Amino acid sequence: MKNVRQHLEKLRKISRKKYHPLIHKIHKKHKISKKTLFYVKEYGQHSNVPRTIIRESIKILMLASIISSFGGLSLEHIKTVFVSIYPLIILLPALNDMVGDYGTIVSSRFSTMLHEGKIKKDCWKNKELKKLLVQIIIISLLTAVFSSIIAMIISSLSNYAVGAATVYKIFSIAIIDVIFLVSTLFLISVYAGFYFFRKKEDPNNFLIPITTSIADFGNMIILSVLIMLFF
Amino acid sequence: MNIFDNNFKEIFSSQIVSIIGGLIAGTVLALYMDKILLIPGMLVFLPGFLSMVHDISGTFAARLSSGLFLGVIKPNKVETKIIKGNLSASFFLAIFVSLILGVIAFLFNLLVLHIFTIKIILLPLIAGALANAMNITLTLFVTFYLFRKGHDPNNIMGPFVTSAGDIIGIISLLIVLVII
Repeated sequence: MKNVRQHLEKLRKISRKKYHPLIHKIHKKHKISKKTLFYVKEYGQHSNVPRTIIRESIKILMLASIISSFGGLSLEHIKTVFVSIYPLIILLPALNDMVGDYGTIVSSRFSTMLHEGKIKKDCWKNKELKKLLVQIIIISLLTAVFSSIIAMIISSLSNYAVGAATVYKIFSIAIIDVIFLVSTLFLISVYAGFYFFRKKEDPNNFLIPITTSIADFGNMIILSVLIMLFF
Repeated sequence: MNIFDNNFKEIFSSQIVSIIGGLIAGTVLALYMDKILLIPGMLVFLPGFLSMVHDISGTFAARLSSGLFLGVIKPNKVETKIIKGNLSASFFLAIFVSLILGVIAFLFNLLVLHIFTIKIILLPLIAGALANAMNITLTLFVTFYLFRKGHDPNNIMGPFVTSAGDIIGIISLLIVLVII
């Protein structure tokens, strides 16, 4: 145990900037996972914790915010129509959360499948991947219908006239938006995941930011187009 | 192929939690629509503002969870170098990204709508600081509480941060709107 501590202390003292061969040696010798060793090195006594976090996060956060703002531009463009459709205002944050969450789930699950070696060349024949696609489509349909119903109930309680035409339009917008984006995110996750995995990179680090940004941006664009078509 | 397995149930239940938070936030948004959405450029930064609140608290919760599981962070000790560093980094990121969002909305107003409103920069900046101060603190205590109770915060904090972030984000915007 004392030996392990000595090695970990040695690791903590190393500059955190580059991958060090000592990580591999300690991992092999003491069977400590590389993730633990990475965490010890990343936030060790010689690292400036806030600076490490800020430097690693700032670019992706800025990119995500800029992409979301571009999506917001399209919604701002149809603002006068949008603010008059009460159920859609209620639905907006829920739809955004939903699509982003599905992007994260698909990305992380597909990355895990790749790491576990479950995905071969012809990935669409993989039963687990097919099952994930079916599950995500069913859940996204159910949640789109559920959130639309709740949004329309709240709207009618707030004296907004929810007629048959509005019900049809809100259901159509929510379902088309969610199904289109979930299918697109699935395709992107699979093809981009394969690409990064072949390049010997961890797909997790790329797929989640890519899919959540596309989900945010795509949701605003698709919603704007659908509102223009239906209203 | 059993579609309705444990994974299905887990994804579905976490989504329901996330949707309920989103619908509450949407209802508040709709109730104060005349105050919030009629400000020029508001819809430009609103989606980015909400996702920024989720992203910052979500990554903060994930880092805390990893530290707790690895034993680097002690569940009964909050005042440590790692936690203080995480808190200051998260807060700095929140202020910086909020400022960027405000500047984008300001430029949109100026270049597209030809309206000069400095308030559109202040609005996300102050609301971002307020929302993240609340959400980051809440995330810290809920993550520690869940871990101490024997739960895996990774499974719960994702939908929790999304729901709480939506509600807190919209309420913060309303508070700042009233103030400025």
